[in-house]
Amino acid sequence: MQTLSTAFAALGDPVRFAIVERLLQQGELSAGMLCEEADISPPAISRHLKVLRQAGLLEQRIDAQRRLYSVRPAAVRAIGTWVINHRKFWETSLDRLEKVLEDEEI
Amino acid sequence: MSEVRIERQFKAPPQRLFAFLSEPANIVKWWGPEGMSVPQAQMNFTQTGPWSSVMMNGEGQRYKVTGEVVAVDPPNSIELTWAWHDASDLRGHESRVRLQVHPTDTGGSLLILHHFNLANDESAKGHREGWESALRKLAAMDN
Repeated sequence: MQTLSTAFAALGDPVRFAIVERLLQQGELSAGMLCEEADISPPAISRHLKVLRQAGLLEQRIDAQRRLYSVRPAAVRAIGTWVINHRKFWETSLDRLEKVLEDEEI
Repeated sequence: MSEVRIERQFKAPPQRLFAFLSEPANIVKWWGPEGMSVPQAQMNFTQTGPWSSVMMNGEGQRYKVTGEVVAVDPPNSIELTWAWHDASDLRGHESRVRLQVHPTDTGGSLLILHHFNLANDESAKGHREGWESALRKLAAMDN
């Protein structure tokens, strides 16, 4: 993945976010299949797919005449950890702080 | 912009809580979520200046965050800037953390933690839910 900010910028578009969600649910899909359900023109979908690939979110595989797209697991993991972190980071850190303070009371 | 605000009561009086929040040897005892180790830390919140920390999860993935201690007023408050670095060590969006310690009637302290100017306000919330479920699916796929 290039940078997390590039990934977020790419996902800021609702159409692209929906594409990634669909690929996460259904695994690998061709551009054609993505077009059909999302009701977007082929040129538009290929532009979105290009942005997502450049952001490191998707990978592409050639299968006969078709290009199949799927989400890169590493990208999901990196973003997931990053996004979840802030509240969780502080909540769990403060839990530990509380415990440390009590343990060292004696 | 989004923010995280947490209030927490401690039995320890402000001086003692502040020492644990600010002194290098004490910070590493609590910094970071359970399951994360902190292989690198330059954290001294008793004085202004740069700080950094690298956290590592069980899979060896590293998460680096750096910033500047911009204000310290013992035993009342600490203010920091905060930004994650990505895998290629590029520093991302900068947010700000304010820690405030207030004495309570019972001799303890109230800590108010405010992490603000976080990026991706509404979309971050959507992403969080989206990605949490995505991660569960991914985990299920892995098995």
